[in-house]
Amino acid sequence: MSARRGKPGNTIDGPTTVAVLRLYIAGDAPNSVQAVVNIEAICRDCLNGAYDLEIIDVLEYPERAMAAGILVTPTLTKVYPLPAAQVVGNLSDRPRVLLAIGTRSEEQ
Amino acid sequence: MSEGSLRVVDSVQGKQHDKTIKGLLRQLVNGSPEQQAIEAGEIDAIIDYSGRNVILFPAARDALRLPAAGESTHEPVANNLLAALTQQEYQRLAPYLESVTLASGTVLHEPGEPIRFVYFPVDCLISLLPMVTGGRTVEVGLVGFDGMVGTSLALGVNVSSLRARVQIGGRAFRVSQARFTSALQDSQTLQHELNLYIYTELAASRQTALCRTLHRIEERVASRLLMTSARVRSDQFFVTQESLACVLGVRRESITQAAGALQRRRLITYSRGNLRILNRQGLEAASCHCYGRLDNLSHRA
Ligand SMILES: [Zn+2]
Repeated sequence: MSARRGKPGNTIDGPTTVAVLRLYIAGDAPNSVQAVVNIEAICRDCLNGAYDLEIIDVLEYPERAMAAGILVTPTLTKVYPLPAAQVVGNLSDRPRVLLAIGTRSEEQ
Repeated sequence: MSEGSLRVVDSVQGKQHDKTIKGLLRQLVNGSPEQQAIEAGEIDAIIDYSGRNVILFPAARDALRLPAAGESTHEPVANNLLAALTQQEYQRLAPYLESVTLASGTVLHEPGEPIRFVYFPVDCLISLLPMVTGGRTVEVGLVGFDGMVGTSLALGVNVSSLRARVQIGGRAFRVSQARFTSALQDSQTLQHELNLYIYTELAASRQTALCRTLHRIEERVASRLLMTSARVRSDQFFVTQESLACVLGVRRESITQAAGALQRRRLITYSRGNLRILNRQGLEAASCHCYGRLDNLSHRA
């Protein structure tokens, strides 16, 4: 599985910053399933569609995880905007995930 | 699927698996987010860069292991080659895996016969025997839960050159030759594991030849019993003197003598085919260590 979710962040008002996120998981393992559920909820609730989330199953694409220097799964990486950031674990700590993504959406 | 020689999912078994995980954990920085998440139980897998391998944690491993067709839900896949498949690969093969119970003495195929089924032993033991016209035969291979019967298919040969005979009865999974061949084409993991296994088989048959020439019968019987015990995962099993004589290529009287000597040293009890190992360390010391060496080979270095 390597699935892209989310919509382009461009609106009539001009481009918004689109968070480019990659979630590395291990198939349907319990924490991986949890992480997918959590990140999808966070994206839906807090990112107003301005995100590009890619879910990478390391059991199928281990080379992608290695290329990104991933040590364990699940790991969420924010590729853009810089600085890059990472959250390790099942992403149940929402404030920590939002802090890493660097969104201010939670203040809205 | 992955590219090149990349290993896709963990195939490290049992103790070796724990050791690999421990080794990888030691490489993590103290207090790092990875280490904290592991302590919180939020991690499913750790990536082994040197082994180019993804090692699943036990809970994730259990969750990803799908039951075979007709099997109860909590039964683990008890054959190393099947267990090495990725979840996706296993899922594709599972509907065609048939659980069978093989009786001792059953011949799975004769030399020169086409291979109709491939067998993955769970707790049975299969002897591979070449046929010698007019003479005694001698075992050249022994297949347990660490391997499969029908490896020549992986080399593109669908006729067996050996007799495959069930030495110790028990359970196995089988899959038709056609399904297996197509699974093999789809699965790099299976190809890789099979290559490794075929290499081990080859090394084992060389070692067997050497063992037969150089080692005393009593040592060989001890080795053989240890290897059987490891493969059937039990200290007790049924094995007749005739079949031991056959697989070791010696006379029955020699087996009687050797087994008697091991019994007098209180290393085993052996009565009417019922064998029980009483003192494993003692039996190891009494063996020629040939099979121990071979069993180590089946774990990767
Ligand atoms: Zn030997």
